[in-house]
Amino acid sequence: MGSPEPLLLMRGIVKEFPGVRALDGVDLDVRPGEVHCLLGQNGAGKSTLIKVLAGAHQPDQGEIVFAGAPVRLAGPTAAMRAGIATIYQELDLVDGLSVAENVFLGHERARLGFTRRAEAERAARDLLARLGHGEIPPRREVGRLPAAGKQVVSMARALSHDARLIVMDEPSAALAHDEVANLFRIIRELTSAGVAVVYISHRLEEIREIGDRVTVLKDGRSVAGGLPAQTTSTDEIVSLMTGRDVEYVFPERPEPEDDRPEVLRVEDLTLPGAFEDVSLTVRAGEIVGLAGLVGSGRSEILETVYGARRPARGRVLIDGRPVRPGDTGAAVRRGMGMAPEERKSQALLMNESVAGNVSVAGLSRYASFGWLSRRRELADVRRQIEALDIRPPDPRRPVVTLSGGNQQKVVLARWLLDPDGLRLLILDEPTRGVDVGARAELYAVIRQLAGRGIGVLLVSSEVPEVLGLADRVLVVREGRVVHTGDARDLDEGSVLNMIMEGSAL
Amino acid sequence: MTETSHSEGSTPQTPGNGTGVGERGEPLGPVLKKPGAGGSWRRPFARNGGAGSREIHHLGLVAALVLLALVGVFTEPDNFATSGNVVGILALAATIGVITVGQTFVIIGGGIDLSVGSVMALASVWATTVATQSYGPAVMALCAILVGTGAGVVTGILISYGRLVPFIATLAMLVAARGLAQRMSDRKTQLVRPENDAIEALSTTKVLGLPLVVYIFAAVAVVGWLLLNRTTFGRRTFAVGGNPEAARLAGIDVRRHTLLLYALSGFCCGIAAIIIMARTTTGSSTHGDLYELDAIAAVIIGGTLLTGGRGTVVGSILGVLVFTLITNLFILNGLQTSDQLVAKGVIIVIAVLLQRRGLRSPT
Amino acid sequence: MRDQSPRPTRRGVLFGGAAVAAGTLAAACTSNSEKDPAPAAQAGSLAGDNDKPGKQVTIGFSAPAADHGWIAAIAKNAEAQAKKYKDVTFKPVEPTNDINQQISAVETLIRAKVNVLVILPNDGEQLNQVARKAMDAGIPVVNLDRVFPDKLSYRTWIGGDNYGMGVSAGNYIGKKLKDKGVSNPVIVEIQGIATLPLTQERTKGFEDALKTYGFSVTAKQDAKFTVESGNQVASNLLQAHKKIDALWNQDDDQGVGVLAAIKQSGRKEFFMVGGAGSANAMREIKSGGGVLEATVTYPPTMAASAIKLARLIAQGKGMADLVELQAPQSLTLASETVTKDNVDTYMPLGFES
Repeated sequence: MGSPEPLLLMRGIVKEFPGVRALDGVDLDVRPGEVHCLLGQNGAGKSTLIKVLAGAHQPDQGEIVFAGAPVRLAGPTAAMRAGIATIYQELDLVDGLSVAENVFLGHERARLGFTRRAEAERAARDLLARLGHGEIPPRREVGRLPAAGKQVVSMARALSHDARLIVMDEPSAALAHDEVANLFRIIRELTSAGVAVVYISHRLEEIREIGDRVTVLKDGRSVAGGLPAQTTSTDEIVSLMTGRDVEYVFPERPEPEDDRPEVLRVEDLTLPGAFEDVSLTVRAGEIVGLAGLVGSGRSEILETVYGARRPARGRVLIDGRPVRPGDTGAAVRRGMGMAPEERKSQALLMNESVAGNVSVAGLSRYASFGWLSRRRELADVRRQIEALDIRPPDPRRPVVTLSGGNQQKVVLARWLLDPDGLRLLILDEPTRGVDVGARAELYAVIRQLAGRGIGVLLVSSEVPEVLGLADRVLVVREGRVVHTGDARDLDEGSVLNMIMEGSAL
Repeated sequence: MTETSHSEGSTPQTPGNGTGVGERGEPLGPVLKKPGAGGSWRRPFARNGGAGSREIHHLGLVAALVLLALVGVFTEPDNFATSGNVVGILALAATIGVITVGQTFVIIGGGIDLSVGSVMALASVWATTVATQSYGPAVMALCAILVGTGAGVVTGILISYGRLVPFIATLAMLVAARGLAQRMSDRKTQLVRPENDAIEALSTTKVLGLPLVVYIFAAVAVVGWLLLNRTTFGRRTFAVGGNPEAARLAGIDVRRHTLLLYALSGFCCGIAAIIIMARTTTGSSTHGDLYELDAIAAVIIGGTLLTGGRGTVVGSILGVLVFTLITNLFILNGLQTSDQLVAKGVIIVIAVLLQRRGLRSPT
Repeated sequence: MRDQSPRPTRRGVLFGGAAVAAGTLAAACTSNSEKDPAPAAQAGSLAGDNDKPGKQVTIGFSAPAADHGWIAAIAKNAEAQAKKYKDVTFKPVEPTNDINQQISAVETLIRAKVNVLVILPNDGEQLNQVARKAMDAGIPVVNLDRVFPDKLSYRTWIGGDNYGMGVSAGNYIGKKLKDKGVSNPVIVEIQGIATLPLTQERTKGFEDALKTYGFSVTAKQDAKFTVESGNQVASNLLQAHKKIDALWNQDDDQGVGVLAAIKQSGRKEFFMVGGAGSANAMREIKSGGGVLEATVTYPPTMAASAIKLARLIAQGKGMADLVELQAPQSLTLASETVTKDNVDTYMPLGFES
């Protein structure tokens, strides 16, 4: 280790956000000309680390040494000037501009404010040719290129900055198989020219093929650095990723009762491009968990069941009767409730009070001919605040001022106003942005609701959460359910394996 | 950690509590006022980040009105503070005021309606054609309301089901309604015929010193306030405008609600058409020129968020009164329209800057 | 009326004259009581043989879009007049309020090689160039109302007298107040669109005329030629001045709103003079009892006269009552004062706003 001088050296990087310590001492060294892979579960701190490298976040502690000198990456421009380019998963290209214009966006080839188009196009063509994609016309509008083409343009942009380190965040996620091969060819060409690549992916097979060394992140810390990518065993990597410092406290699971009635039945549900032929059932009082990577189709399944998306095929039945597809209003009337993945953008009314957020889905309960009885509304909201222990217990408080866990309880309370109406609760990442202490409390609430006979359908990126909370688990990979089984028969490693590679260990 | 860090400052500072418009804004407050765990229960439904910022904002507008009134009293002591002038200002504010109430709903609901002025013009023209006038004043008024609402429904359908951006759809309606009004009237001013002078009577008949059009304005404002703050429709309007995705996932039919918002705005334009017919004794394709800008400006300085999800009817009406008062003051003092426009521009900027400050410091 | 005469040559159509506007006939016929009006604007008649069919000519016509009663009357009068001649092919282009579009419309007419052009420009300055182009191409231009700055850009100009309009109104008001013996009268003026030169000229004429009586304008405020703006401005002005002696409203279109505001205020202590001469205003003057006592004309019939002139120019004829063999270079129409005494004479000239 350390035989060649490292190009990038990060030591003891700490980054705190209100309530969360996203990075808690990360070390990373990257050598010139290598592909260094970053591995870690969701929430392990990968994206925060990337943002620190890209200059988008400032670390609270720690030092960064680049090319032998300590640097302060005060902003994206500073990072670029230093020679660090980042290619995000959602490519930050301007669709309406041409390839050449995108490549030189922000550092246009210009004289006296006039862009020098011919020169920029020539330079862009050279860069594209260097990446083995001379066939992409520099004048083509970027919006009209396929995903792989856009990625090449992003890389050309990185090269145009004379980047010596390129960070790639899940570059293969949007690519088809043969396009991935081409991506790897480009990466090899870059590294042979001495450029270093930090490569983030969930797919172990890719890491084995392209990676030189691996750093594993867990709970904001680097738990292992510089492991050889080819030879380290999957077992070892998985155990590094999964071992936990914080043990979640999950509520006790009741004995399964198979005679409970089916609340939800999904038959051959298909949404082209997202998932295919998904069938599942949820019984009254049962918690069913979906495990899968981001982009595996798990969230889309939940949204389609709830009527937020219209399926191409298949049926959703509540209590044996089909629900009108693609109509959230119908879903709510039939007793479904949902706590979506993005709490702020999909669930909460940020201008409103706690009460306004709780009652929004059930306003007609407090209205006669459209006229609201605020007295009854408030009484009910207060009952829920008490039942779920929402703190502070103040219905008029602006919801923005609550902590993540209490916000999530507000969203849950929304569906509990009608004591008998709720049949199925759909939870997408229920503990995202919720600090560790408050999680156990949420788990207890969810289990308690199930105990009242409500069916729960749950998605989480955190495999232990799915395993600890759910009675039954469905593993989803690339839009298909690849495994269904009792949660007690599975462990984290085997689920991670199915998620990442599709073959049980 | 949750408990301690969030219990502090649980009572938002409301310096304006119990004064001015803030008090009028919550007439049912005392009913819900209970000695409870959360301290004083004056405002059970804080609608925004700092529950106080809304009052501060309204206080600002009230202060502006008072300031303008003082300027009026000092510069034109004989003419300004007369009952006649106050009545005149209210009557002048009636047309644009009614339109602004509708616009407030649309903007809180996350949209914008550029077509208000031309829809009012179209309604006034349609209601004053020879054919309509032959049925008498009641039918004329009904016609104006139906035409306005109908135009609103059309734009509403284009936006909610045709997926057009509100700006585009209402811009199209702005142009098309004006054109249709010109066609129908052959670009002529259509006088309300003498036998239908019941229409003009809305402007000439006074009850307790105020012409009927002022009562129409007041009624629309009160009903608008109740609709926004006391009904499911109003509550859903905030939800749809504040976070349409969340509203949809809460089972609200966002598209139907959006359609209703534009229909409501059109309905208000129809009522405004009746008022303008009463005031000018005419229907004309030139009525309501640039009303959309005045209405939007009034809504914005009234503290409604242009992006939706937050706003008040009271603020919008204060905004209308501020603008009407400025025009009145300038004419009273013999100043030209160009100076008025500059003053209006300055007021819009100041109001929005104030609004932003209110946003930055939530509680 | 004369129009029904079997002998068209003897119609005696008058300059600024009575029977030209077929568009206004319907209204005129229902309300007129005296036959054979004899307008005061007897500048001279184009009698003689001039109305006899002559060489076939094509007249191109371009004017702003009619968003105003007066402009609408312009277009109608021009078309009606052209239709009366068998030897005239009338070629109007789409009216527009956009300068660029009017320029290209005129260019189209030049390319079509019309014999003569009648142009009421949106803005004389901005259309000067294209009018010059027509003249250079050998197509004579009859410039209607808004004047081109460059004399080489038109063969003949015919239009109203904005300054004279203000003078007429000022004289009427000044004389009347003088006769009543009012000292320091409160005189209020409601202008049209403030930025237009014509508004400024009218105001200047008004002020100059009042000065000769030792009076001045107490307050003036601009409206936008629309009913609604007239209503709003008048409402506020009435509040600003508790006692008014006389009011001049520059434009009868907006005057409908002004009158409504006055009526609703219940004020009667003053008299009012209008402007332009709409049929509405004339009916109001005729019926009496209201504040509107008079209006000063700015007749849209000038469009009909312009067509006549254009035809004469294209056919190489002069005006019969003049000695010269060719039509004159410039004609300014007098602004006349219509009161209850002569309103019947002018009624047929009133345009429907």
